[in-house]
Amino acid sequence: MHPALSVIIFTVLSGAGYGLFSLVTLLHLSGRYPASGQTELVTQLGLALALITLGLFSSTLHLHNPKNAWRAVMRVRTSWLSREAVCALSFYPFALIYLWQVLQVGVEAGPLMVLVGGIALSLALLTVFTTGMIYASLKTIRQWHTALTPANYLLLGLALGATALVAVHAGFGGRSEGLVLLALGLLLLAGVMKGLYYLWIREVSGPSLNTATGFTQARVRLLDQGHTAGTFLTREFGFDPGAGRIRRVRLGVFGFGFVLPLLLMGMVLGGGSSLWLAPALMSALAGIGLERWLFFAEARHGVMLYHGLQRT
Amino acid sequence: MTALPAFEDHDRQQSKYTTCYMCACRCGIKVTVENNQVRFIQGNRNHPVNKGVLCAKGNAGIMKQQSPARLRYPMRRKPGSERGSGDFEPISWDEALDQLTERLARIRATDPKKLAFFTGRDQMQALTGLWAAQFGTINWAAHGGFCSVNMAAAGLYTMGHAFWEFGDPDWERTKYFMLWGVAEDHASNPIKAGIDTLKRRGAKFVSINPVRTGYQAVADEWVPIRPGTDGLLALSMVHVLLRHDRFDWDYLVRYTNAPWLVVDTPGQKGHGLILRDRDGNPLAWDLELGDVVDASLPEIQPALFGDYTAPDGRPVRTVMSLLAERYLDDAYAPENIAPRCGVPAEQIERLALEMAHVAFKETIEIECEWTDAYGRTHDRFVGRPVSMHAMRGISAHSNGFQTCRAIHLLQILLGTIDVPGGHLSKPPYPRHIPPGIKPARDMAPNTPLKSPPLGFPTGPEDLVIDGEGRPLRLDKAYSWDAPMANHGLMHMVITNAVKGDPYPIDTLMLYMANMSWNSTMNTAQVMDMLREKGADGEYKIPFLVVSDAFHSEIVNFADLVLPDTTYLERHDTISMLDRPISEPHAAADAIRQPILEPDRDVRPWQEVLVELGGRLGFPAFTTRDGIRRYTSYQDFIVNFQREPGIGFLAGWRGAQGQNSLRGDPNPNQWQEYVDHQCFFVHHLEDSQKYYRFCNRDYLELARHAGWVGSVEPIILELYSETQQRFKLAGQGLYDGPMPKRPEHKARLVNHFDPLPIWYPPLEQGRIDLEAYPFHAITQRPMFMYHSWDSQNAWLRQICAQNFLYMNRGRAESMGIADHAWVWVASHHGRIRVQVKLMEGVAPDTVWTWNALGKQSGAWGLSQDADESRKGFLLNHLISELLPQRGDGLDNVTNSDPITGQAAWYDLRVSITPAKPGEVGAWPRFESIRPLPGMPDSPDQVRYRTHRRVNLRRSLWDVLTRGKGRS
Amino acid sequence: MRLGLVIDLDTCVGCHACAVACKQWNTSGTTGPLTDESPYGAAPTGVWFNRVRHYEVGDYPHTKTVNMPLSCMHCDDAACVTVCPTGASYKRREDGIVLVDQDKCMGCNLCAWACPYGARELDPQDGVMKKCTLCIDRIYDGALAPEDRQPACVITCPAHARHFGDFDDPDSAVSRLSRERGGRKLMPELGYEPTNTYLPPRSAPTVPTADVRRGSLMSNVKDWVNKAIAR
Ligand SMILES: Nc1nc2c(c(=O)[nH]1)N[C@H]1C(S)=C(S)[C@@H](COP(=O)(O)OP(=O)(O)OC[C@H]3O[C@@H](n4cnc5c(=O)[nH]c(N)nc54)[C@H](O)[C@@H]3O)O[C@H]1N2
Ligand SMILES: Nc1nc2c(c(=O)[nH]1)N[C@H]1C(S)=C(S)[C@@H](COP(=O)(O)OP(=O)(O)OC[C@H]3O[C@@H](n4cnc5c(=O)[nH]c(N)nc54)[C@H](O)[C@@H]3O)O[C@H]1N2
Ligand code: SF4
Ligand code: SF4
Ligand code: SF4
Ligand code: SF4
Ligand code: SF4
Ligand SMILES: [Mo]
Repeated sequence: MHPALSVIIFTVLSGAGYGLFSLVTLLHLSGRYPASGQTELVTQLGLALALITLGLFSSTLHLHNPKNAWRAVMRVRTSWLSREAVCALSFYPFALIYLWQVLQVGVEAGPLMVLVGGIALSLALLTVFTTGMIYASLKTIRQWHTALTPANYLLLGLALGATALVAVHAGFGGRSEGLVLLALGLLLLAGVMKGLYYLWIREVSGPSLNTATGFTQARVRLLDQGHTAGTFLTREFGFDPGAGRIRRVRLGVFGFGFVLPLLLMGMVLGGGSSLWLAPALMSALAGIGLERWLFFAEARHGVMLYHGLQRT
Repeated sequence: MTALPAFEDHDRQQSKYTTCYMCACRCGIKVTVENNQVRFIQGNRNHPVNKGVLCAKGNAGIMKQQSPARLRYPMRRKPGSERGSGDFEPISWDEALDQLTERLARIRATDPKKLAFFTGRDQMQALTGLWAAQFGTINWAAHGGFCSVNMAAAGLYTMGHAFWEFGDPDWERTKYFMLWGVAEDHASNPIKAGIDTLKRRGAKFVSINPVRTGYQAVADEWVPIRPGTDGLLALSMVHVLLRHDRFDWDYLVRYTNAPWLVVDTPGQKGHGLILRDRDGNPLAWDLELGDVVDASLPEIQPALFGDYTAPDGRPVRTVMSLLAERYLDDAYAPENIAPRCGVPAEQIERLALEMAHVAFKETIEIECEWTDAYGRTHDRFVGRPVSMHAMRGISAHSNGFQTCRAIHLLQILLGTIDVPGGHLSKPPYPRHIPPGIKPARDMAPNTPLKSPPLGFPTGPEDLVIDGEGRPLRLDKAYSWDAPMANHGLMHMVITNAVKGDPYPIDTLMLYMANMSWNSTMNTAQVMDMLREKGADGEYKIPFLVVSDAFHSEIVNFADLVLPDTTYLERHDTISMLDRPISEPHAAADAIRQPILEPDRDVRPWQEVLVELGGRLGFPAFTTRDGIRRYTSYQDFIVNFQREPGIGFLAGWRGAQGQNSLRGDPNPNQWQEYVDHQCFFVHHLEDSQKYYRFCNRDYLELARHAGWVGSVEPIILELYSETQQRFKLAGQGLYDGPMPKRPEHKARLVNHFDPLPIWYPPLEQGRIDLEAYPFHAITQRPMFMYHSWDSQNAWLRQICAQNFLYMNRGRAESMGIADHAWVWVASHHGRIRVQVKLMEGVAPDTVWTWNALGKQSGAWGLSQDADESRKGFLLNHLISELLPQRGDGLDNVTNSDPITGQAAWYDLRVSITPAKPGEVGAWPRFESIRPLPGMPDSPDQVRYRTHRRVNLRRSLWDVLTRGKGRS
Repeated sequence: MRLGLVIDLDTCVGCHACAVACKQWNTSGTTGPLTDESPYGAAPTGVWFNRVRHYEVGDYPHTKTVNMPLSCMHCDDAACVTVCPTGASYKRREDGIVLVDQDKCMGCNLCAWACPYGARELDPQDGVMKKCTLCIDRIYDGALAPEDRQPACVITCPAHARHFGDFDDPDSAVSRLSRERGGRKLMPELGYEPTNTYLPPRSAPTVPTADVRRGSLMSNVKDWVNKAIAR
């Protein structure tokens, strides 16, 4: 699949934003948020909303007819994209009321705050889940068509959110080993999950050029695809990064996305300066950005069988 | 859901019928026009050729009409500018025609042969040939000489019709179909429909072709033969039939010259000629009489085999004895042929016997009373349902004439010619063997030729040579180089004219032929030749007139460009006098009527010819007072008569339109055609449908219609006396003109033979075969016509770059990967191309699509179009002359030595991987400059004739429906 | 009704007529125009609803070339419809035709992602998804002659390899062909339940030769004894 920058930005930023929002809200509402005060809480929530909004804005960039984007809410009955849109949109009023409450009332959580915050939190997680499901529901792309996809989206969103959370927290001068431990744990879990995913997609399954053409008794090869220049299909689906590049990018994913942030967090836990959490966040963002690029680049759409691929 | 909206406003649309000319198949089309733009072109269901279907090209007519390469007005090379520099200025039609008339009038009044007029994919040779004859120049021919004349000749000299456009398999009845070397052919749609028809019935389809694409893809059996060896394969199958005593004895006795007696006096004059009586009648040996008898009489009992003594004492043998003796020879045994053809011996034997089985064990009979040419009635047509078709895989080789005769021999032995289930001729064929027209030789100023420039020689005395044996025609047709060059040698015209060999000319007129590019061999040097000047500073070809509709490569070299209309903008005819649209059982012709008004200052070339004919005072185009006789081409079509009652169109003749085929001109004829969907069909009676070479009712009709000159039966000639006359001339044993130069003698001796022979393609005898291990051939893509369709925005999306296809295993063994760039070299030059690997090609063969490569800047394409950057022409590697060996053949055309048919597919090449970094097609030529006043080609096309009427989904439906249908 | 196409791989010669017919009909059709980019330049490309691809089955010399036109299969379980968030993509109740309402599409491409057959192409100029309409603007146009109320690709196919009809009707030509010739659905394992079926190549007919093999093989002209046959 052609990795569209707008979609990479969207999923990474909004994932991080929803993750951050969920964690902050959860900690806050459960009374475990070691906030230095209202400003920090508002900053955390504001940052989360900014990331989410930036991401959603970016996602509309890849629409070719954005004037009809509002119609995307019409098909919740069947469409995960529609569901995502509905979740994302309905998240806002609750999140904003919640934020408004925090601004009004302060860090003390009242019943209204718990209610709207709780709803916003669920919607945030749901949105990330629906995003994952958009991809996971596509039978045409075996690398996506797995429960690992939404799990990945959720975990990576939460891990990024947690990393952001501790970084911001550190920015406010806070130092919470517990939070860093949480971030470290989530990141580790996400990394393990990603590793599992990479293992899982190595198992080739699903349609082949044989089943795509119906000739299953002998080797089938493409002779001619019927056009000499590219088409919408080859531009959209025909991306092939090559095995070497995949290997290199994977190193980057693990290096920047997991190993480096984990090391930095370890240093912090081991008594190092909390300021290391900022580069940890940068590194994680970059690494997960690469992860997202790879998520698309490695995905091979079934239609490429018709263009000569033997297996997806 | 609610009712559908009205998608089309039919009230604003008009539909008209006409004839397609995206290629030479000439299908009937119905064109729907809206806002003076084409909404849709669809096949005419009632049309005899395509019966409603349309090919990819025909479906892309809209984009031809939109082509930015359409010429807009007459142009001349700017005075003082160099030819080929593309420096043109627009001029008016009056100026253009005045200038041309003046020049032509001078030539005609002094030395008419100084005008050479050659036409490419023209289907109105009846007009252009007539025009040339009226002008008085013998230097006229159409594209047949580089296309498939050797097949046309082989057919016409063997069975009175041919493959090519003159005959078809009996698709409805055949049970076994063998296709030799055909990728697409002129009958594009009929062949596809025919293959479907026969496969539905469970008939077997065998394809003989080194490449498995297109038709071969759907063949039941694919025979990947080595190019140029089909003659051997056919003759080996003949061997098998003879060995198993499987041939149609009755058919041979009744309808062929198999029982005729041949004089058997080797080394003496008259050897190998048919034994004839005093009146010239052929003789046979009558088994009952025990004596010779006029072989053309009915009811005799001729011996098919045997050696006898003629009344004059000379030893004679039957044709069949000669034939059987030759092909029974072990040299033709499958096991000896197999290694040369690359076809396993068991397969050769099996294929021959399968055909024998179908011919003799699955015979079909159609009950129908019919009368033979001798007046005897029969109650049934016996059919042997084996059919074949062949085209350029055979014809584009220098042994194509003999190979094609070998295939016809196979067909005739099986008794399959013009019988139910076999190969059927299409009116106006069959003709007598050969048709009784001799090529014109004599010319005089201001005088029409006495006969057409092209005809059918029956011996050396018919050659168009002078007393010294030198060619009289510019293309050297009908000379010792190409004695039976019945369609001329268009591919030699430029080379010969520039060399002044046999003589220089003044003006070359080209119509519909891209002679500086895809229809020439040796492209790069031919481009130089067109620019070549003599010591006097004058161009070697002083004046070049090009009639084209588009900005093709040749236009760039013109001194005068006469822009033609597109096929949707003109009056035209597809005439019985030329190659009509007939089907085996229906004589048919057609017209083209203008559908759209030209939006440019262009004129149909045919109109221009009629006008020039009037201006130059041709007798056929003027009244006795010298006044123009025809106001327009349409007027000419309706009123010109070749002989009383016979004109360009066969339908609705006679003052009231009451006559078919023959009758007085009818002033309303054109309108009748328009009213009848632009075509006319005369269906044959059931009794006239088969055995037409010997079918009285048919022959009488044919004579009435002017298709044949007499109702004498047409005897199929397994044995060609014409061939033997030339051979004797080569041996010095002929009573008549004989060649003097040794290489001419050798050509006649080695390549002419009264019975089909096989010899290796000529190029192979003059190069180091090991240095050039691959056969290199081209195929026509089904979705493009020669060079025409790269200007078509839709078709070029299918293919804008051609590749050289190689056998995967073979390429990989040479370290050549898919999509690698390679150098391809022949004895003549080298090119760089990109390869694609495939399974379905013989390991020693490489191929590419024909005519896809383009010169940068032509055809309205951008300078960086894929066609010129990555696409290529194989033509650079093909020489118009035989490979140089420093002998008498150095200057001789790379053609079939009998018919002058260009030997495109004799080419042998070597292939070597290109160095890293060597990418892109090579050679590349300077970009052709844009023509003055041509619009820029658009960056985007959004063609439509009306705003779309969207089919809305209701909001209710959007909100309430789950997945799926409910 | 369940309308769709049967494509006969036994006779499809890969001529591309159906693809171009589709293009010319639909460029002025209900979802036209079908934009072409760089039509006269490098890498020409455009929107098509039907593309013909060519495959080779098996290795030389036991290889068979297969020409395979691909357009929308009008799937019964059309994920392209399921995933569409706007409702622009839908499957018609009455005949199962899968369409895109051009006025509702937001150009997100998701439906194309969901389609395994490459049947959907985005028109970059209009920003909306386009696809085979099964020529709905022909098949229901009462002003056309009945035999013309068929898809453009079907009426044009020179090899008569394309058939149009109702698969719900067991007696329709498409149902019959599909049944008798073992019509195949492509990528059945994905469960899209495509309506269109592909007829596999027929097996080659066998022609006996035993009955024309003569025991006594001729090896010399002298072996033949003339028959008395009147000319
Ligand atoms: N679409 C389309 N139709 C056309 C044309 C076009 O340009 N495009 N051109 C028209 C013209 S002018 C002509 S002459 C006809 C020609 O029509 P075809 O005869 O179909 O011409 P080619 O495409 O040259 O096909 C020759 C075939 O012979 C095979 N071949 C080559 N060498 C040999 C050999 O030695 N033995 C055998 N058995 N096979 C061999 C090639 O692989 C190829 O498949 O088509 C006409 N129709
Ligand atoms: N390598 C290789 N070369 C070959 C062949 C091959 O198989 N391989 N095949 C050979 C054969 S068989 C043939 S027939 C030739 C074909 O060769 P050509 O007859 O030269 O073929 P085209 O490319 O069709 O070009 C004819 C010219 O006609 C022009 N034209 C098109 N329509 C019109 C019109 O309506 N009016 C006028 N006045 N002009 C028009 C075009 O613009 C073009 O310049 O190619 C030969 N060359
Ligand atoms: S075969 Fe195609 S291009 Fe040729 S005349 Fe017929 S429809 Fe036109
Ligand atoms: S038109 Fe018919 S034969 Fe040609 S590619 Fe399409 S389905 Fe095949
Ligand atoms: S073929 Fe593709 S576009 Fe057509 S219905 Fe099936 S999934 Fe949808
Ligand atoms: S591109 Fe249009 S039709 Fe396709 S899913 Fe998106 S909105 Fe629906
Ligand atoms: S049914 Fe119509 S829209 Fe669909 S592929 Fe055929 S011609 Fe194109
Ligand atoms: Mo030709």
